[in-house]
Amino acid sequence: MSAFFVHKEAVTQWIRHLARSNTVYFPQRAGQSGFRFKPVKETTEIQFDRYQPTLAPPGKKLAPAEEPLFRYRKQGDAAPELVPILDQSPRILAGVRPCDLKGIHLMDRANREGHGDPHYLTRRTHTILIAHDCLQPCDDSCFCDAVGSLGWRDNADLFLTSLEDHILIEVRTGPGETLIQGMNFPVCTDVAAVKSRAEAQRAQPFGRQFHADLARIPAIIASQWQAPVWEKQVERCFSCGSCNLVCPTCYCFDVHDDFDLTDPNAGQRTRTWDGCMLPQFAEVAGGHNFRPNPAARQRHRVKRKFEYLTERFAEGSFCTGCGRCGRQCTTDIDIFNIVNDLIDHAEANS
Amino acid sequence: MKPKVAFFDFASCEGCQLAVLNCEDILLDILGLVDIVEFREAMSETAPRFDVAFIEGSINREQDAERLRDIRARSTYLVAMGACACIGNVQARSNFIAPAENFQRVYGVEDRNMVQTDPEFWPLWAHTRVRAVKEIVPVDFELRGCPLVPEEFVHLVKALVTGATPRFSTQAVCVECKMNENECVYDQGETCMGQITRGGCKAICITNGYRCDGCRGILPHANLAAHHGLLQSKGLSEPQITNRYRLFCSAESLGRVGRTGHDK
Ligand code: SF4
Ligand code: SF4
Ligand code: SF4
Ligand code: SF4
Ligand code: SF4
Repeated sequence: MSAFFVHKEAVTQWIRHLARSNTVYFPQRAGQSGFRFKPVKETTEIQFDRYQPTLAPPGKKLAPAEEPLFRYRKQGDAAPELVPILDQSPRILAGVRPCDLKGIHLMDRANREGHGDPHYLTRRTHTILIAHDCLQPCDDSCFCDAVGSLGWRDNADLFLTSLEDHILIEVRTGPGETLIQGMNFPVCTDVAAVKSRAEAQRAQPFGRQFHADLARIPAIIASQWQAPVWEKQVERCFSCGSCNLVCPTCYCFDVHDDFDLTDPNAGQRTRTWDGCMLPQFAEVAGGHNFRPNPAARQRHRVKRKFEYLTERFAEGSFCTGCGRCGRQCTTDIDIFNIVNDLIDHAEANS
Repeated sequence: MKPKVAFFDFASCEGCQLAVLNCEDILLDILGLVDIVEFREAMSETAPRFDVAFIEGSINREQDAERLRDIRARSTYLVAMGACACIGNVQARSNFIAPAENFQRVYGVEDRNMVQTDPEFWPLWAHTRVRAVKEIVPVDFELRGCPLVPEEFVHLVKALVTGATPRFSTQAVCVECKMNENECVYDQGETCMGQITRGGCKAICITNGYRCDGCRGILPHANLAAHHGLLQSKGLSEPQITNRYRLFCSAESLGRVGRTGHDK
């Protein structure tokens, strides 16, 4: 497909132009060091390369924290009448990084499994992704290269690479194409040359690396059920769930019904984010808890990201290496260190 | 017949009753579900039974404890409303100071001595321990926070009217803080009680630019050792840490944190 090599200023104008007739989310400053994906306004700063991963990943725009699922009404003994609530509003997520692009891909896979989740998939169908490459690790917390997310491109509609004061725009899909129609951007005649110049600027090694090959990690973790690492790594844990809630590939939720004050026979079902680090997550009727202590919960979380889901979906890793969980844990528990400790423990005991 | 609901206030600022009245837009709908009878004075012997009694305030005097027991005996459900009733709130900090010292602070040395020597003042000694409602009578439901969260009040009323089990958060404030996509105050050089505090308030204080001071009380599973260590590592002194734990959580944290700490 086509590619364009465009001055950064023109790209900024283009994003603002798109935002006049679409909802365009772009990472914007929030608080002192954080960023949030927020709708672009006329005055929004469009800054592609000074990047810190957003507090919540962009994929959460497809699965909001509190989401109405359907309205219900009961009449006598008849089956309740259900009206699903589906959000068909079109949106563009721009400035998405490779790790988060991979995260959305993994969310797509999980939400398409079985019957599929109509709420997520409806939003997803109406979403266009404009992604942007990273030539430097965003900070000391990320490890996208170690889990193979850095090179992820598959689900981008448009993929952008910054090179000095220009940006290479690669069109990857039909919907992506429609966004640049009529812009008269200069065509890039030698994509390979631009890319290899960009590649020469990419940091080597790129961010933190594991002590073992990614392909070996699921088996290593499977062998470490009893490792002392689990207990040691949660001594400081608050079971606050922050690491789940900021993760681009955590999709667990809880549901509850709420009836209308004016008519107790009618109401709404809502789902809210949940997470396996929270103490009540594995509690079942009767009060039994399958994972009553933080070490068991942490083990479950790590195995989900690096073993269970990785194997179920045949993806290299269900952790995208975005670094959010370690960055936002107030007590500095970092999944990267847990995995490395497990590798070290396995090596030392083999 | 609509359930009879009553409100009683003890040692409080009545801010929770105000928070209930602030549910203006739906108050009329609630009145469609329940009959509200408000009692401020002592009840007569023939006072009726209540389906739900909401108790606001901490219990500071023996006569208050008696009144509370009486209300309990007449009520099907008893709800502790707000931090004062649930955990003692700021006034329970006085429990950490010797009564004589408290008297002196408030009334001066002379009156403190009077309190000790004049039998007329002796009943005041019963006024020396601030208690949460559950320390005196069984509590069926708690509406935590200072003030209570209006949505939780409405949720509880709806559940009680229909016989459903109400849902209250037993997760850290961090959960709702993350749902609001707040930047953690620890990343701004602040410290926070959110990791060990019961959620349900939608992390309102952080969302509005402050930190969590823990008004909803400490979580049963709170990792206090880790939290204490974290506050230390952020440069807080022991007295500062004690102050943070005791601001709201005094009664509840008794025996769990800072038993030996001194209130300054
Ligand atoms: S690892 Fe950190 S973020 Fe996760 S639950 Fe424990 S304290 Fe919270
Ligand atoms: S586990 Fe942590 S580093 Fe991995 S994708 Fe989730 S938040 Fe990012
Ligand atoms: S909990 Fe707070 S608002 Fe409610 S009565 Fe007590 S002091 Fe007032
Ligand atoms: S600001 Fe407080 S409540 Fe919010 S995530 Fe940080 S520690 Fe938790
Ligand atoms: S954030 Fe903390 S202090 Fe504020 S209302 Fe919630 S529990 Fe209370």
